[in-house]
Amino acid sequence: MKAIRQFFEAVRAPLGAILLTMGLGFLLVAAINDEPVLAYRELLFANFDSLSNFALFLNRATPITLIALGVVFAFRAGFFNAGGEGQLYLGAMAATLVALALPALHPVLLIPLTVAAGIAAGAFWGWVPATLKIRLGVDEVVTTLMLNFVALLITSYIVNHLIRDTTTYGAISLMIPKSIWLPPFPGVPGATIGFLVAVILAFVAWIAIFRTEWGAEIRAAGTNLRFAEAVGTPARQRVIGAMLVSGGFGGLAGALYVLGVGHRFEQNFSPAYGLVALTVALLARIHPLGALATALFYALMLNGAAYMQIATDVPRSLVNLLTGMLVFLMTARLRPSVRG
Amino acid sequence: MDISSFLGSVIEQSTPILLAALAAMITLRANILNIAVEGMMLTAAFVAIAVGDATGSAALALLAAVVASVLVSLLLAIVTLVFRADFIVAGLGLNLLAAGGTLFMLEKVYENPGGLRPITFPELWRVPEGSLSFLPVVGRAIEGQSVIVLLAFLAVPACQIFLYRTPTGSYLRAAGEDEAAAASAGIRVGRMKALAVAISGLLAGLAGAQLAMDRLHFFLPDMTSGRGFIGLAATLFGGGLPYATAGASILFGFFGALGDRLQVFAIPSQFVLMIPYVAAILGLVVARWRKVASQRPAAVKEAAP
Repeated sequence: MKAIRQFFEAVRAPLGAILLTMGLGFLLVAAINDEPVLAYRELLFANFDSLSNFALFLNRATPITLIALGVVFAFRAGFFNAGGEGQLYLGAMAATLVALALPALHPVLLIPLTVAAGIAAGAFWGWVPATLKIRLGVDEVVTTLMLNFVALLITSYIVNHLIRDTTTYGAISLMIPKSIWLPPFPGVPGATIGFLVAVILAFVAWIAIFRTEWGAEIRAAGTNLRFAEAVGTPARQRVIGAMLVSGGFGGLAGALYVLGVGHRFEQNFSPAYGLVALTVALLARIHPLGALATALFYALMLNGAAYMQIATDVPRSLVNLLTGMLVFLMTARLRPSVRG
Repeated sequence: MDISSFLGSVIEQSTPILLAALAAMITLRANILNIAVEGMMLTAAFVAIAVGDATGSAALALLAAVVASVLVSLLLAIVTLVFRADFIVAGLGLNLLAAGGTLFMLEKVYENPGGLRPITFPELWRVPEGSLSFLPVVGRAIEGQSVIVLLAFLAVPACQIFLYRTPTGSYLRAAGEDEAAAASAGIRVGRMKALAVAISGLLAGLAGAQLAMDRLHFFLPDMTSGRGFIGLAATLFGGGLPYATAGASILFGFFGALGDRLQVFAIPSQFVLMIPYVAAILGLVVARWRKVASQRPAAVKEAAP
């Protein structure tokens, strides 16, 4: 009984924010369209109408969940990691490069190698701002945001000048060998087992954060770095470790996207997954399992927007608008401050 | 390469960065890291084109763009200062809201998600050709620049005077440097921060208007493409000082203009475009490193046995 009450208290605020936003969105749709109910049905439930819709939904949920889990680690260590997008892109690029460089290698070796490359690239991109913050106190919001642009430009250079598929139009790389494409999700042919990885890792992340000494030290570092340091916790190492994990999750998301969905590096493959995942993690009150649930909800909306547009010609950018509204109001408190 | 025309394009490329940088600088001095400049600029760019298209008046379009941007900034101020939302998160939300809102309007009202391109669009006032021919090189670079460009370069000394030579400016800096001390000295910290956000909305509005209606006369989804962040980078590189920030903005504008021409020499544009972001990080690192180094205790030499 107590556990249930605690659960409801924890989810009350995020659920309230989501419901409020969905309600405002419904009013907006009702104002511009005759069939708001149909539009919302398509937005939320068309994902389950066919197996292929459902597969697209799972494929979208995978990177959001993974990056959000990474953000959870960073935030638990008191580190505002706004660099998910850059970590995702570098992970995807590293995986593509390894796959293209060693096409003859046996898949049993090549798949782990590409995934490891992706994780390493993302982790490195998380390590840079972490070290700058711990060593010199450089503000991490700025560095992670700026490093996003640097990562986008680096990958743009590589895909345009080094590994571009010149037979096609657009900035996309050569195809990775078919032997290392990820197998499909059991029962859903269009989706990949990447989603299964994301779900398992959500539970692993929960255990790591709440049931291990390492996780406790990360949380201690995040609550009060100087105190944790003073009582003998290796807090600085834990912050850097958390950011390695955080960046690694972003890189893993990129690698799994390339292996499972894209099969090549595409410039602009991410519809701002990094930012969406940051939102998801914050909405879930930086809780791994909450992040999984919120990521599913978000993927539902992002994917459902297309079906909504087809069925009712409500623009799919409604979802972008709703997301913006949600993030904008997310951290606001209901009781206004009295200080002028 | 014609120096005057190159200088002209440096000035043109610098202007939105400079305005965005000043917008971020004013809030930075009130101890707010303003990442919402991007969203304010995008809103202003859209409103400028929409109003210019509807009314056929450049002055009205400019005014509407600035007003829209200031209103958006006030919304941000209310959410963060009254309802105590986190500034970074709300700023990210504002950027998303601006991107989503303008796209939604394009799709719903103009029924063209690709952009808004009026067939005719009113011209801004420009420095007349030949009016500055007595100045060598520089004169020709300034001729033909719009009124927004002139305002941008006037805004630099204006910000300097405001921050350092007016009581309000001093209060604003005091509120940014030590909130509690400023409050106990009778300064209304919340109001100062709101003022800083509103001024940054004004400057960002000019930046967005310049981007959309100076040369291009159209609006594209996400057309600011990170210029708000380059402006933030320039501010951080310039240490929040008006003239240094302006210098950094012009430097970044110079590299931008150079990048357009270097493509001819097969230097990949990506590396040129990277310069502002890397420079911002390096600027912060050097500033922090010097501070840490100056606070380090002097080395103790052990006496030889």
